[in-house]
Amino acid sequence: MRPVWRYSGRAVGAAAGLLTALPFYCLSAQDSVRISEAQTVLAHLVETYGVSSAEGPVREAVKRLLPAWAKSETDTAGNLWVRVGEGSPVVVFIAHLDEIGFRVTGIGDDGTLELEPRGGFFSSLFEAQPALVHTDRGDVAGVFMPRDSGLTRHTPPPLRVDVGARSRAGAMARDVSPGATVTMSKQYVRLTGTRATGRSFDDRVGSAAQLLALRRLDRAALKHQVIFIWSVREEIGLEGAAVAAAALGTTPRRVYAIDTFVSADSPLELPNFAVAPIGGGAVARAIDNSSVTPPAYVDSLVQIARARGVALQVGTTNGGNDGSVFTPYGVVDVAIGWPLRYSHSPVEVVDLRDVVSLADLIRAVAETW
Amino acid sequence: MIRRKRVLRSRLSSSHPEGWARRCTTLKRLLARVLLHSAVSGPRFSVGTTTGVVTLLLSALPPVRLSAQSVDPLALRFTSMTAVTGLEQSMADSLRALFPGSTRDRVGNVTLTLGQGSPKRLCTCPLDEVGYVVGNILPDGFLLLRRVGGGGRTASPLFDQQLEGHRVSVFGTKGAVPGVVAVKSVHLTRGRVATGAPDPVFTVDNAYVDVGAGSAAEVQGLGITALAPVSLAKRPQLYGERLLAAPNAARRIACAALAAAVQAKPKVRGTVVVAFTVQSLYASNAGLASLKALLGPFDDIKTATLPGRYPDTAVETVALADADRLVREITQWMEGR
Repeated sequence: MRPVWRYSGRAVGAAAGLLTALPFYCLSAQDSVRISEAQTVLAHLVETYGVSSAEGPVREAVKRLLPAWAKSETDTAGNLWVRVGEGSPVVVFIAHLDEIGFRVTGIGDDGTLELEPRGGFFSSLFEAQPALVHTDRGDVAGVFMPRDSGLTRHTPPPLRVDVGARSRAGAMARDVSPGATVTMSKQYVRLTGTRATGRSFDDRVGSAAQLLALRRLDRAALKHQVIFIWSVREEIGLEGAAVAAAALGTTPRRVYAIDTFVSADSPLELPNFAVAPIGGGAVARAIDNSSVTPPAYVDSLVQIARARGVALQVGTTNGGNDGSVFTPYGVVDVAIGWPLRYSHSPVEVVDLRDVVSLADLIRAVAETW
Repeated sequence: MIRRKRVLRSRLSSSHPEGWARRCTTLKRLLARVLLHSAVSGPRFSVGTTTGVVTLLLSALPPVRLSAQSVDPLALRFTSMTAVTGLEQSMADSLRALFPGSTRDRVGNVTLTLGQGSPKRLCTCPLDEVGYVVGNILPDGFLLLRRVGGGGRTASPLFDQQLEGHRVSVFGTKGAVPGVVAVKSVHLTRGRVATGAPDPVFTVDNAYVDVGAGSAAEVQGLGITALAPVSLAKRPQLYGERLLAAPNAARRIACAALAAAVQAKPKVRGTVVVAFTVQSLYASNAGLASLKALLGPFDDIKTATLPGRYPDTAVETVALADADRLVREITQWMEGR
């Protein structure tokens, strides 16, 4: 290793180390204990990377945040399971660990990386942005290359990443190889009030809500077994959930898919549907592109929320959910979400009050339904 | 073809097996420190006790010793700053703090005079950038923008598109406020956009800034009013062999090189007026023109410039090795060698 810079003394190193160890998302003075806890869990998950099929770091983060009593297991697909309580009917909660991004498919002669998308998103949002290539030996910084200057349409041609190499060998010398996943760097940032922005709130909010519910769960109140699953590869076709559903077969009575309610609460969206304002509470995702919750189940959800004093909205939005792959086994899919602005963008916006509502609703359902 | 003619020559042939991004932990740590101390505050994280402790600890650290070869910390610092053309005061304040004895003229240029006697020469760099200001605040708390500067600098119709779906900083009277520029949710476009439909680029007129507020009153409570400067959130990215990517990287790092040359305390021949000029993107380089009128004439003028890869994008890239060379070049010029 060639030493290049010698700025840092021990003091700088210590300070930088301290900086690294400290959360970068300090709490607002007005935050309640619940909001503070939600932010702490969520921010940690949001700032962990896990493109579909490379969810390991997020899975480990979830395991670290589980309550001490929880015993987890990882299945062959990579899904994380926590079982609580005994008896029938078994019910399942499922939120996904993965996030959208790219995978390296090849390295050009000029050292730039060829990519394929993992999940659905506007590629223009990554163009000309800082990039991170996640390799087995750590992250390698680069940039998503801007398009040729003559192309003036909104959507760019397939994106490539420049890691500063000038040849294929040069890129590989940085441990970059096909199969590595690529994202842009992300940061949890608090906006005004109880709102926050970042990338991959979909579905780190769902993952965080399951954790928060587990932490406060009254295990003695459970009337049957409840299984919490953090699934993999949702964004590329519900693949992890499909493995879990096949493993459980017809055993579960209901599955609660805990995933984003993509909200039209934005000046750019049509108000025809998906109208669930952020800050208005969790949302019963009654109809989406993959499932329809039977109306009687939506009514039950509303009653439980009302009995517990949990803010709940009811709506319909677009997108699929992990619960839909359980329905062929006779399992009823009750999809629950929270309203999110600007889905699958680098600046998704969430209201932390909705995260708390969602966690409270999960807990209420687990304990009473 | 990417603009190959403007691709800079850098030391890329000596790829290191460990990868520079991982090797250069010292510089990355320095980046964290630099951003913490940026003259323009970063996103408002509602600074708490822990941050205060860290700040105090960092303040107690010995200052980074600058030499002609250490432009890096200044490059990181300058690229993290914002100076929308005509609204450069915050960065100018930072420069004045960096150079005791410097002055700000009536237009806003920051100048520092080195040496005395003749010849009387000027070494300058423009510090401003194309940016935005708040043009309107809507009743539901969203902000609308107008671009400031531009003209020939924004020949690319894609310049404003870099705002879409990205974080911005709004510089209100109470400090920098983080916000985001709204973008359509990809999920909600399904079934609504026909194949082959027009694909127009995003323009500044499509930019709705969301700071998390729900009303105009809430926005004003954050210290944001019409004309508040707005820029993309600055997050310089180090990659490859000492490559630094950031908006306006070439201009800012050229200014950093000029600053580093001054801090190296050159033995100046005659008088050298060092000037960080404002409003270069308005009224035919108004800042430099007024400087010449106020302090000229000069026997010679040198403008600090650097080549950049991916110009006018959020990842405009400069090789810091080029900045090293520029520091040496400026120093020699000041010394009359």
